[in-house]
Amino acid sequence: MSSANGDQQPVRLSLPLKYQQELFQELRQKDELVILARGLGLLRLVTNLLHSYDAAGNHLILVIGAEERENGWIGESLAEHAAISMSPKARGLNVVNTDVMSVGTREKMYAQGGIFSITSRILVVDLLTNLLNPETITGLVVLHADRIVATSLEAFILRIYRQKNKVGFLKAFSDNPEPFTTGFAPLSTMMRNLFLRNVSLWPRFQVLVAQSLEGKKKAEVIELEVPMSDSMRDIQNAIMECVEVSIGELKKANSGLDMEDWNVDSALHKQFDLVVRRQLDPVWHRVSWRTKQIVNDLTVLRGMLHTLLTYDAVSFNRHLDTILAAHSPPPGSTRQNQSPWLFLDAAHTIFDTAKRRVYTGKVVKAGAEDIESLRPVLEEQPKWAILTEVLEEIDRDLYFNPVVRDDSNNTVLIMCTDTAQCRQLREYLQTMHIRPGGDEATDDEENEHEPSAAFMMRRKLRNYLKWKKEFAKISASLFAENQTALDGAKSTKNISNQAFRGKAPANKRRRVRGGGAAGSGTSRASNSPGSVLAAEDKPLEVATLISEIRPTEVEAAQKEEVVADPLDDMEDYYQLYDMQDLVLIHAYDGDMDEHVLEEVKPRYIVMYEPDTSFVRRVEVYRSSHNDRNVRVYFLYYGGSVEEQRYLSSVRREKDAFTKLIKEKSTMSVVMTLDAHGVEDPQEAFLRTINTRIAGGGRLAATAQPPRVVVDVREFRSSLPSLLHGRSMVIVPCMLTVGDYILSPNICIERKSIKDLISSFKDGRLYNQAETMLQHYKSPMLLIEFDQNKSFTLEPFADLSGSLSSVSSNGASDLQSKLVLLTLAFPRLRIIWSSSPYQTAEIFESLKTQEAEPDPIEAVRIGLEGGQRAEDQSFNREPQDMLRVVPGVTSKNIKNLIIEMGSLKDIANASVDELEPIVGKEAGGQIHRFFNKSVFDDG
Amino acid sequence: QPIASRSSGSSILVSPRQKGNPILTHLRSFAWEYSDILADYILGLTTCALFLSLKYHRLHPEYIYNRIKLLAGKYNLRILLVMVDIGNHEDSLKELSKTSLVNNVTVILCWSAPEAARYLELYKSYEHANASAIRGVESKGYAEKMVEFVTVPRSINKTDAVSLVSAFGSIRAAVNAKPEEVAIVSGWGEKKVQKWCSVVDEPFRARR
Repeated sequence: MSSANGDQQPVRLSLPLKYQQELFQELRQKDELVILARGLGLLRLVTNLLHSYDAAGNHLILVIGAEERENGWIGESLAEHAAISMSPKARGLNVVNTDVMSVGTREKMYAQGGIFSITSRILVVDLLTNLLNPETITGLVVLHADRIVATSLEAFILRIYRQKNKVGFLKAFSDNPEPFTTGFAPLSTMMRNLFLRNVSLWPRFQVLVAQSLEGKKKAEVIELEVPMSDSMRDIQNAIMECVEVSIGELKKANSGLDMEDWNVDSALHKQFDLVVRRQLDPVWHRVSWRTKQIVNDLTVLRGMLHTLLTYDAVSFNRHLDTILAAHSPPPGSTRQNQSPWLFLDAAHTIFDTAKRRVYTGKVVKAGAEDIESLRPVLEEQPKWAILTEVLEEIDRDLYFNPVVRDDSNNTVLIMCTDTAQCRQLREYLQTMHIRPGGDEATDDEENEHEPSAAFMMRRKLRNYLKWKKEFAKISASLFAENQTALDGAKSTKNISNQAFRGKAPANKRRRVRGGGAAGSGTSRASNSPGSVLAAEDKPLEVATLISEIRPTEVEAAQKEEVVADPLDDMEDYYQLYDMQDLVLIHAYDGDMDEHVLEEVKPRYIVMYEPDTSFVRRVEVYRSSHNDRNVRVYFLYYGGSVEEQRYLSSVRREKDAFTKLIKEKSTMSVVMTLDAHGVEDPQEAFLRTINTRIAGGGRLAATAQPPRVVVDVREFRSSLPSLLHGRSMVIVPCMLTVGDYILSPNICIERKSIKDLISSFKDGRLYNQAETMLQHYKSPMLLIEFDQNKSFTLEPFADLSGSLSSVSSNGASDLQSKLVLLTLAFPRLRIIWSSSPYQTAEIFESLKTQEAEPDPIEAVRIGLEGGQRAEDQSFNREPQDMLRVVPGVTSKNIKNLIIEMGSLKDIANASVDELEPIVGKEAGGQIHRFFNKSVFDDG
Repeated sequence: QPIASRSSGSSILVSPRQKGNPILTHLRSFAWEYSDILADYILGLTTCALFLSLKYHRLHPEYIYNRIKLLAGKYNLRILLVMVDIGNHEDSLKELSKTSLVNNVTVILCWSAPEAARYLELYKSYEHANASAIRGVESKGYAEKMVEFVTVPRSINKTDAVSLVSAFGSIRAAVNAKPEEVAIVSGWGEKKVQKWCSVVDEPFRARR
C-alpha cells in the first residue's frame, strides 16, 4: 500500500480517505453489517481491519465466505502491512480450503491462533466435532454477506458460534446491495441470519463518500460515444427479435406464471436469464424440455449480444458457427426439438450479416477469374479507430505539454472486459501500422497512412478458413454417428464417402476445403429435415467459401512467416519494463484493479468498455493521491446493449441503496425482538422433552439428546443446519452407505429433485439402494423438494396418451423410474418432503422410539476389508465427469479413483495401465474415449 | 363400464370399494375389472395398492390403518398411493412417513387423478420389466458422451464443449491443455478456463 498515514498510530493503516477512516473507527467499536457501494475499496477496509487485530496478537480470527482470489489479496496485504508497521506479533493469514490438511494439523493450527480463512464446509465440521472450540474464537469476519440465507452453511456457522460464544466480535461485509432488496423485509431477515443489530450503509451518494471523492482532486473524464456500424446494429436488432420470439414462446408454454417482467426491455439487463431462471425455478422440475431449451437459448442469445460488441467480425462469425453446430439437432429429432429462434428470419439475418462482415461472395458471378472482385470485407470494430485516435491525442498531449512534475507515470492504461479482448486489442495495436499486402497488395493505396486492422483481420480470416475446414470435418465426424442411428447403413456410406473427400492429399488444398465443407453441408442438411436454416444456408456458404479462398491463399503464400502466434510473445511479459511511456492493456478484475492502479500509476486511462465499479476505483485512486493527475477516456457504443447495461447497473445500485436506507429507518422494532435470536439452551432442552413426550412418552430418552449421524458431504445442503436448529446433535462422519443415519436400523439417502433425476440417469441411485438394503433394516429414500419449489412432480404437459409407447427401456420420465425403483426394491421406503424444514420434522418423528445411532458403526458399514474411512473421496465434480466416460461403471469407478490420481492421469493412461484396474474391455473403452480424434471420421 | 371376464392376468383388479373414484375414468391403457380383493388395486402377482386421498384421511384418520391391517402382510410390495388434494399436507405426510416405516408400506404421492391412474398403469405395465432403465447402462454416441463429459462443471455449456474439443482434436488433448491455450478458444472466458483446468487436475480424493 502506498501511502500509510503519517500520524502516530499503534498500527499503520492505508486508509487515506475520510470515509474509509470513519468506517474503520466504527467497525473497531461495534459489530455491524457494512454494505458498501461497489468499487469503494471493500477489501482494503477488511484487510486494514484484520491487520489492526493481527498486530495486537494473541487472537483467533476466522474469515468466512472469502473466495480464493480474495484470500490471495488478504494474505498479501496482511504481510505487507506487517512489514510496514513492523509489528512483531502479526502472523498473516492462514488459508484452510481443502481437506488436504489432516485433522491433526488443523487442530494444531487452531491452537496456535492467528487469522484463518476457512471454507465453510470444513469449518462447520470442525466446529461440530469440537476440533475448533467456538469459545476460543476472538471474532468472525463474514465476506459476501449478501449470499447468506437462513439455510446456508454460513448462517449455520454463525449460529453455532453465537450459541457458544457471546463475547467474540462479528462483522459482516458486502458490496452488493441488490440482493438485500428482494423479498419481504429482506434487510431485517438478513440481520437476523447474521445475528447482528447494526447496519451501516455507504452508497456512493453518502455525504462523506461524496465529499471524499468530489473534492478538488477530481479525475478528468472524456466521454466518447462510438456509433455502431450498420451491420452491427442489424445483427443486434435481429438478436433482439430472436430474444423477443423466445420470450413469447416461453410465455405461451408457461401460462400459469407471473411474467410481467419478461419483455425485451428487461432482456437487455444483466441478469435477465437469471431472473427467468429464478421465476421458473419453483417449477423447474415440471416444465417441459422445450421450455428449458428456450431458457438456454436466451442465455446463448444474450451471450451473442455481448460477443457482437467485443469480438472482431471474424471471431464473431466463427463463434456463430460453433453455436450453430452445437445446436444442430440430435439424432431422431424432429422440428419440435429444435431451438425456435433458429427458424426465424432474424436468425438468418444474424448469420448472414455476420458472414457479410467477414467476406462477401456476391461478386463472384461477375468476373470469375478476377482477383480484385473477390474481396473480403473484414469490417473493423468502430472502437478500434477511436482508440487509435485517443492514443494519438495522448501522444500529442505528451509532446506539447511536457511532464508536469507529479507522481504518475506517463503510462496509458487500457481497461477492457476480458482477456480475450485484451489479446485482440494488443494485436490490433501491434499490427495496425503494418500494410497487409506489401507491394503486391491491391486495395489499400489510398489509405496509406491510416492505421487499420487489415493485417490482423486478414490473419484472422486465414485462421478462420483453416479452422473452418477442420471444423467441417469435425462436425461431419460427430454427425456421422448420429447419422447411423438415424438413417441406417445407406446414408452412413454416403457420409463416409463425403468425409473421405475431406481427407484428400494436402497439396490440392483448394479443393480440399470446398470438399470438406460440402461434406458437412450435405450431412447436416440430410440429417435434419426440419432444420430449415442449416439446409438453406449451406450451399451458399460453400460457394462463398470456394470463391473466397483464392485471394487469401495468394496472400497466405507470401505472408506465412509474418503470422504471429498469439502465444509467441508470452515471454515478453516476463521482462522488466520501465514504467514510463508504456501502453498497458488490462481486463477488469474486480478488486484487483485497485492494485493495478496503484502499481501502474497511469496518467491516462482508456476505459474501452464502461464499468461502474472501475469508475469508482479511479475516483478513489485519484482522491487518495494528491499529486497524481489522471485523464480518463470513456468509450461506449451509442444505443447499444453495453450502454444500456451500464446505465441500468448504476440505477439499480442506487435504487437498492435507497430502499435499504428506507428499511433501515423503520427497522428498529424488529431488531429489538431479534436481539435474542440465539436460542436459550435451557429453552431448547425443554423443547426436546416436549417433543419427546408427544412422540412416544419415553422421558428417559431425554437424558441423551437426539443424535443424527450425517455424511460430511451432506453439509452442502441446508438440512444439517435445520436438524441442528431442532436441537439434535449432529455427528459429521465419512459415510460410505447413506447420507443420514437416524438409528441403527434407519438409513436415509437424501435426493433433491435434481439429484434424483441425475442419479436415476447414471444408475447411481440403483446402487445406493442396493447397498443400503444390504446393511440396514429400514433403508429410506428421501425425496426432498425445495422450500420455494412447487411440491409436485406433475409435468405441465398433458399426461394422456403418454403411456402408449411405454416399454421398460423407454421409461424416461421421473414417475416411471420411481415405479421401476420400487418394483426392484420393495423394501425401500420413500419419504416425500416439501422442504428441508419439513424433512427435519419428519426425521424427528422417525427417530422417536428408536435407539440412537452409533457413529463408529455407521462409518464402518460398507467399507470393504482394508479400506479406511479417510480414503473416501471428496472432490465430486471430477468423479461425476469420470462417471460419464464410457466403460466406467459404478463398480470399477472405485478402483479407478483409488489407483489413479486425477482425470488427467486417466486421460493420459495407456490401455496397459488401465487394464489391471478396470479390465480389458472397459480399459479399451476408456482409452478410446479420451484418445478419439475428432479430426478423423467415424 | 368394463367388460367382465377377460383373463385377469393382464388386467388391473379393482376393489368395488373404489367405485366412483375419478381415477378409474383415467385408466385407459389397461383393462380393469372389479374383483373382491383386500387391497384397492391389484397390480401384479406380488404388487398391490391402497388409495388414500388426504382430504379423506384428515376426516377419518383411522381408516387407512384398518385397511393396512386387513392386508395382513400379504403382497411383497404394498403401495400406498396418496393423493395430495389439500394445502396443508405437512402433518399428514409426516404421519404417513412414520406409518410407512412401521407398517411396511411404500408411499407414492400423486397430485391429480390422471397422475394416479398413470402410476397404476405404470405398475401394471412394468410388472415383468427389469430395472435396466434405472441402472444407468445407456448407450450413446461419442458426440453426446463427449458433450456430457465436458459439460459436467456447471458453467460450461454445449457450445463450449464443441468448440473446446474441436480446437484440441481429442478429449485427451483438451484435458492436457494449458490454461493459456484453452483461453484462446472462442467463448471460453477466464472463469470457464479456470474451472476446466482445475477440475481435470483435481485429485479424486484428498491426500495427506
